[in-house]
Amino acid sequence: MTAVEKVLARASGRSELGAGEVVEPEPDFIMVHDGVVLAARRELDALGIDRLARPDRVMMVTDHEVIYPSARAAERGAFNRKTARDWGVRWFFDVGQGGHGHIFPMESGLLLPGMFYFDNDRHSTNAGAIGAFGFRMGSEIGRVLATGTNWVMVPKTIRLVLRGRPRPGVLGRDIGFVIARHLREGGSWGLNPDYRVIEFAGELDVYDLAQRTALCSSPTEVRAYGTFFPPSETILAHARSVAQRPFTPVFPDADARVEAQVSLDVSTLEPQVALPGGVHRAVDVSEVEGTRIDHAFIGSCGSGHYEDLQAAARLLAGRRIAPGVRLMITPGSERSTRRMLDDGLMKVFVEAGAVVLPAGCGACNDGVIGPLHSGEVSISTFAGNNHGRLGPKDAQLYLGNPATVAASAVAGCIADARRMEAAA
Amino acid sequence: MSADPANRPMTEDTPPGFEWRLRGRAWVLGHDIQHQGGVVPAWIVTGRHMDPADIIPHLFEETDPGFHERCRPGDIIVAGRSFGMGPKMNGYIGMQALGLGLVCESMPFLGYRGAIGAGLRVLTDCQGATEECATGDELEVDFASGLFINHTRGSHREYPPMAESLQAVVALGGNTGWLRQWWAARNP
Repeated sequence: MTAVEKVLARASGRSELGAGEVVEPEPDFIMVHDGVVLAARRELDALGIDRLARPDRVMMVTDHEVIYPSARAAERGAFNRKTARDWGVRWFFDVGQGGHGHIFPMESGLLLPGMFYFDNDRHSTNAGAIGAFGFRMGSEIGRVLATGTNWVMVPKTIRLVLRGRPRPGVLGRDIGFVIARHLREGGSWGLNPDYRVIEFAGELDVYDLAQRTALCSSPTEVRAYGTFFPPSETILAHARSVAQRPFTPVFPDADARVEAQVSLDVSTLEPQVALPGGVHRAVDVSEVEGTRIDHAFIGSCGSGHYEDLQAAARLLAGRRIAPGVRLMITPGSERSTRRMLDDGLMKVFVEAGAVVLPAGCGACNDGVIGPLHSGEVSISTFAGNNHGRLGPKDAQLYLGNPATVAASAVAGCIADARRMEAAA
Repeated sequence: MSADPANRPMTEDTPPGFEWRLRGRAWVLGHDIQHQGGVVPAWIVTGRHMDPADIIPHLFEETDPGFHERCRPGDIIVAGRSFGMGPKMNGYIGMQALGLGLVCESMPFLGYRGAIGAGLRVLTDCQGATEECATGDELEVDFASGLFINHTRGSHREYPPMAESLQAVVALGGNTGWLRQWWAARNP
């Protein structure tokens, strides 16, 4: 079996399972974010469903509108708080608690290797970074809350073998953009990633949790439904050190049936920038160097770990962002915010002229906070850069790794972080 | 599951009066009909219109104007590859309310999930379905078994059936109907 087949088999009480089978797995937990509690509550209330099957397994996170940018958001916050009480939600992370739902559970030992969980949001694919599987339910999260499960058709798996070591300065996001370029439907691998799990294989020990998370991000944007990294010794040691409950890691069988196997030599890659319109529109940073920017953002589910913030801080230490540029830093967890304070990163960011936002999705949530103006140019570590994601359709959204974004904010235009570091 | 008409499967949840087998005319569409634009106008999707009464007058408006007036309950939409790209379910709500069925060569998983959730009788991965019939042919399709009969041509095919555990959702009219029944069964 593939890794995800094993995770689903365990959660479904089965010894064997294959792609295409339909199961109703019992989740280790159920995640719902602040933006969808209202719709789920209304749906269940309308049916007279006044209690959840497993409130002891429900995790409600506040990450999409952490600071209320409108009266409507404040009202929603109050509604969510009441709903968490009414439903008896075990893990309610209110404003200023937890952080980004696809980052902090991995850091704090709530999401552990081998686990299965349901989530309303598609970036549940991040779970693959720690060797777990999160299944996106969208608007069907109501059924999961009410009954404790829902039907899952076991997805097919594509094995992606990473070969070689990335050059210094080439980070997970860079490799992720290149993967998206090849993997997407119509890409050079000739695959259709729709509803597939991308199982990473090959030389993986070089990737820590932050890099693995970054690698799990971009396949999601080209419609992969899951990702999976077999946990390394380092990942397992982290999981053991923070685990809030017992866990059993899973690893794919060597003879697992996969739909396809592809490989990528990462040793020759340069830092990448994804051009506006999609994560798959990856080019070497040298092709767009010098493009003037107005806005920069570091954070999101793709680049929200502490190591991502450190990569940005290395560039920003002792430097100031360029006049006319605004830079926002959004840690993935409250834990990271505290570490930033303890380790001096907060000082680096503030002295560089950046604005530090509370942990969560930040502006990546469709620009609900911090939208752009028509014609503005942005470079960020957002999960995606579809036109209009930050408001105006004609705003230009480039993506890069956290160091590239930090270097660009300093330069006032898209810049190669390696050169800026070397010049120091 | 048998495709023999004498052995039609019936799930235990199928309510009285629900028909797994539809007989009606074929409406054959091409490949790559997008949900937004092709199935329903974009404003239906972006405006989150989920009421069938709002959706029906605009179903296939940009692909086949006037479709909703010409189709009849039991008619079957036969679509090509990559039908209904885009994860929203508005179009399937409209098709279900009109009593239509959908047979397609492929559709994105979230589209399929949305169609099941809307309670639509749907078959996907039906290779070559658009070559098995032409618009106006008399079709009979058993969505529980996958049996596809073209009475006009006197031909039949056996396509992958809908998974049994999903049949309960469709037979009860979609996610909401399923959930209502689930709750009622536990709280008599």
